[in-house]
Amino acid sequence: MFFLHNLERRVTLHPSYFGKNMHELVTTKLVKDVEGTCAGDYYVIAIMDTFDISEGRILPGSGLAEFTVGYRAVVWRPFKNEVIDAIVTTVNPHGFFAQAGPLRLFVSTHLIPDEIKYDASATPPQFTNNADIVIEQGTHVRVKIIGLRTEVGEMWAIGTINGDFLGCLQA
Amino acid sequence: MASNAPFHFAGDSESDDEPFNPAPADMSDEENEVEDDSRNKKGRRSPADDGDEDENEEQAEEGAEEEDAEGDGVAEDDEEEEGGEEEEEEEEDEDEEDEDVQQHRRRRKRRKDLGAAFLDIEAEVEDEEEAEDEDREAEGIDDFIDIAHPDDLEEVSRLHDERQHRALDRQRELEASLDAEKQAEILRERYGKRAASRGYGDMKVVPKRLLLPSVDDPSIWAVRCKEGKEREVVFNIMRRIEERMGTPNALPITAAFERGGPNSVMKGYIYVEARRQTDVLIALDGMLNVYPRTKMMLVEIKDMPDLLRVTKTPTLEPGAWVRLKRPAKHAGDLAQVLDVTENGLEARVRFIPRLDYGVRDDASSNLTPDGKRKRPGMPAPRPPQRLFSEAEARKRNPRYLSGNPQTNTWTYMGEEFENGFQVKDIKIQWLETKDVNPTLEEVTKFASGGEDGTENLDLKALYTSLKDSNNVTYVPGDVIEVYEGEQAGVIGKAISVQGDIVTLRVTEGELAGQTLEVPNKGLRKRFQLGDHVKVIGGSRFRDEVGMVVNITDDRVTLLSDQTNTEITVFSKDLREASDIGGQGSLGQYSLLDLVQLDPTTVGVIVKVDRESMVVLDQNGDTRQVMPSQIANKLPKRRTAVAADRNGSEIRLDDVVREYGGQQRQGKIIHIYRSYVFLHSNATTENAGVFVTRAGNVMTVAAKGGRVNANAGPDLSAMNPALKRNPNGTNNNMPPPKQSLGPDRALNQHVSIRRGVYKGMMGIVKDTTETHARVELHSKNKVVTVPKADLIFRDKITGKPIDIYSRGGRPAPSSSGRPGDYSGGRTLMGASGGERTPAWGSSKSTARTPAWGRPETSGSRTPAWGDGSRTVNPYDGSRTAYGGATAYGGSRTPAWSSSAKTPAHDGFGHGSKTPAWSASASSSHDPWGSKTPAYGVSAPTPGASGSANSASDPWGYTPGASGSSSHGYDAPTPGAALSAPTPGAALSAPTPGAYSAPTPAAISAPTPGAWQGGWGADSAPTPAPLGAPTPAASGAAAYGAPTPAPGAYSAETPAVPGYVDDD
Repeated sequence: MFFLHNLERRVTLHPSYFGKNMHELVTTKLVKDVEGTCAGDYYVIAIMDTFDISEGRILPGSGLAEFTVGYRAVVWRPFKNEVIDAIVTTVNPHGFFAQAGPLRLFVSTHLIPDEIKYDASATPPQFTNNADIVIEQGTHVRVKIIGLRTEVGEMWAIGTINGDFLGCLQA
Repeated sequence: MASNAPFHFAGDSESDDEPFNPAPADMSDEENEVEDDSRNKKGRRSPADDGDEDENEEQAEEGAEEEDAEGDGVAEDDEEEEGGEEEEEEEEDEDEEDEDVQQHRRRRKRRKDLGAAFLDIEAEVEDEEEAEDEDREAEGIDDFIDIAHPDDLEEVSRLHDERQHRALDRQRELEASLDAEKQAEILRERYGKRAASRGYGDMKVVPKRLLLPSVDDPSIWAVRCKEGKEREVVFNIMRRIEERMGTPNALPITAAFERGGPNSVMKGYIYVEARRQTDVLIALDGMLNVYPRTKMMLVEIKDMPDLLRVTKTPTLEPGAWVRLKRPAKHAGDLAQVLDVTENGLEARVRFIPRLDYGVRDDASSNLTPDGKRKRPGMPAPRPPQRLFSEAEARKRNPRYLSGNPQTNTWTYMGEEFENGFQVKDIKIQWLETKDVNPTLEEVTKFASGGEDGTENLDLKALYTSLKDSNNVTYVPGDVIEVYEGEQAGVIGKAISVQGDIVTLRVTEGELAGQTLEVPNKGLRKRFQLGDHVKVIGGSRFRDEVGMVVNITDDRVTLLSDQTNTEITVFSKDLREASDIGGQGSLGQYSLLDLVQLDPTTVGVIVKVDRESMVVLDQNGDTRQVMPSQIANKLPKRRTAVAADRNGSEIRLDDVVREYGGQQRQGKIIHIYRSYVFLHSNATTENAGVFVTRAGNVMTVAAKGGRVNANAGPDLSAMNPALKRNPNGTNNNMPPPKQSLGPDRALNQHVSIRRGVYKGMMGIVKDTTETHARVELHSKNKVVTVPKADLIFRDKITGKPIDIYSRGGRPAPSSSGRPGDYSGGRTLMGASGGERTPAWGSSKSTARTPAWGRPETSGSRTPAWGDGSRTVNPYDGSRTAYGGATAYGGSRTPAWSSSAKTPAHDGFGHGSKTPAWSASASSSHDPWGSKTPAYGVSAPTPGASGSANSASDPWGYTPGASGSSSHGYDAPTPGAALSAPTPGAALSAPTPGAYSAPTPAAISAPTPGAWQGGWGADSAPTPAPLGAPTPAASGAAAYGAPTPAPGAYSAETPAVPGYVDDD
């Protein structure tokens, strides 16, 4: 789910950049540092704007200046039981991996309807019910997240397509 | 019975057995005697059995009962005896459940009373007897010693009986005549009271405790017997008692029992209760399987109750799991009970055979390597567990194989096999039935043996086996489900655990919020899909962390975080993991670490087990190593860089793809020499790690977008605009200069130094950014030549010049630098203010004087050329130097040295400007002011300068030269900062490159005039001069010349900087 989130961050700037366009540089640095990262249990998708850039404080020792910057960012936080669309990246006998934006998902065979079976002989390998459903690399699937794990700088989830309206998306 | 037991008996036995059974300290001998006395009488069962102590009497009663029972038993058949015994046991068991063993005797008696209540008549009778007894007790001490003859007693009792019967008949008649209501009343009175009295009796605790055996009671001896024959021996004793009853040599023992059993610690012994040890010997004399002559142990009084403590023996049910103790080949193997024989002594079990199909029976294999025959007792290495293979058996020993392929039952070497499993009847004592703890892997082997290959796990049986082991521990915080008992279905969170009782707070359902206490037994941990769990307990997956993907009853499938594989374990072996996944680690080594295996081999840890790890080495081989086999752990080098196939730099965390081969793609986790270790999520093999050569990969995406490098500068590091390297060794060569006005190259005289027109001269007619159209002198032709291939020459002298160098310098910096350097530039701009004046001054005033001087000596121009050229070419100033040397040889070695020396640049920073200005205003004097500047940055020149300055404006010149570099450096604060470092020195020259004029200024004076001056002026000078010259010629040479005085040597440090530049 996407949120507009007010955040704050400390940005440091090398003294060689001190000058009149410092704030601009601070913003640049903030964007570079923060956008696209995983901050615990959400991803920072984009920074809308910054406000309230504090005075710089020289850090003793390094000479870098530290600014406290408030900013507004679009963040995405996946939730347990959330239904999201993802693209299959890898298919193996245990299930398949899919990517939902920055989030990696795994859907185990246990969480795939029984009639959808792994077919190793197909190229590329796929999950199929021998009818209209084929899940292979690149397939768009709708997945319900049943578990989330957060690691430093990474999140990943376990999903299921065992449920109504879940599974392969007919393009 | 021990009717002849003398008074001193107890004492005797005590003295005999003192070492074994010291008498309790609190019992005096007198007491013993008295008690013995009374006891003896009771033993005779005299009606005058009225000991003043209640418990004594009861014990006596009890003893009598026992004897009776035994007697009855003896009178009957053996089997019946057994039945009787079993009954008795059962009764005991029941007692056990409610109360302590110590109380069982009394309990039994009471029970009998109760039972009697329902037996109506008899009960009444017995009660009356008891009452009589009590009466007698009340009568007093006169009756205490009653030596009535047993015969008399019998008669008395007979008479008594008759009277009672009559009374009973009367009572019945009376009852029958009463109406129902009254009868009910009576009944209620009778039974109600009894129930009450029972409850009351239960509360009488103290006397029961006194029921414990004391020294008055017969002692119990443990007698060795053949293991497994305990019961038989006891039956034999019983038989013997029966035989000799009533004869003079009746057995003088009071009881015999055994507590054998396959798992009992008391097996191999029977216990005989008797007054004296000799009685035991008499009783057991000549009996089979029992060894009274060997050590006979007297059981301590306090241990006696324990002998009779009931332990529930586990009953083997078909389907249960057990472990084998024998045959030795299978010791410890898991087996499944198929059936239990009727006598309960043997069980038919199936297990996975360990067959080698006679491989080891070969004659050769019977010999040890040194040619000797193996000793038969030597344990052979046991073959691994494998299902029976008919084919293999047929191949090796067809003779010993028989069976039915249809049912898949075989007999091979005298063993039976069914469906691949070995089936065997094994004595129960050779089976381990407790703490079996079958692991899921073991059990699955059995399951997979199903005919159709489907899983036919008997989970229930398995779980029972597991539950019996009862090693499940619950920790507060566990989510628990009650699946058995009254509270089945309740789900809650454990609050506290005390022994076997778990207190849980119900979280779901009607009882939510309540706190319940439930026994450990009917509980299991509960997990939900997606839970992050960790494997604990005995499973081989211990410490794996993962997410639950499936739950079937008690089995939980989880997807391991580390290996992305699925694991199935029992829920009891799991517990909720903290959300941060624990990386597998063993000691200091953890997953994906780079470790050194031997001096030439490194590897990445791809799997961590409990005691070993699997390492993928640089050759792509995996090997299992122990932590001790690892030489050391290589720390991750964040700065490690390698070049990929295209020569692009690759670093850690870059995503690269193999070129050719499988085209695997992965993120670089380690770079070791020319090997890169990559990690990919696409595969689970080796934890997704593979190794390849750096030259064999192509960058897909570099972290931080180095490849498409328009992300802007790193704002937390030095402004790259200030870090520019003069010699162009980095890729960031400054963009070609674009002057604001028309290209300065226009109309310049040039010579072409490369290409087909090499050596030709001409005039630039037109230019583009990179190329110039040159009208050749020699032929009437205009050719297009890259600007870089041009040497601009003075129109008049023909000396090479740098047309961009003078006023042009600022221009390139402003126009040439990309906008992102603006920050830096601004600052420069700010400082530019300083510089410009300096420049101005240098041009107009300061330099001119300098110039003026050298001008006289025509040799300045080369200096010019030299100066300009040296610095000019961006790519390699030293090449230019080399050139300069040619000149310099004669000209101004000193100069070149001063100009070139970093010291020089250093110069630039500090106070040049002032120096300049000073020099500008008063050409010579300012030295003083300049000297400080020297002091700051470039002591050496300073020194030399000062030496010189005394003699001449020379000193000044360096100043000038310094200023040239200043021109550049001074403005940039960065330069100022870096000045002290050799690097700064380096950076200085670069600017120098821009500001060709300065060196020119410098070099100009140097030539002949100077030299002369030098030589004349001061002895020291030559030395410095001498030194620099080689320097001019080549940096390497620089070091050598330094023999120069100390002044010079100071400069030398700067040299290395230069060398580096080169």
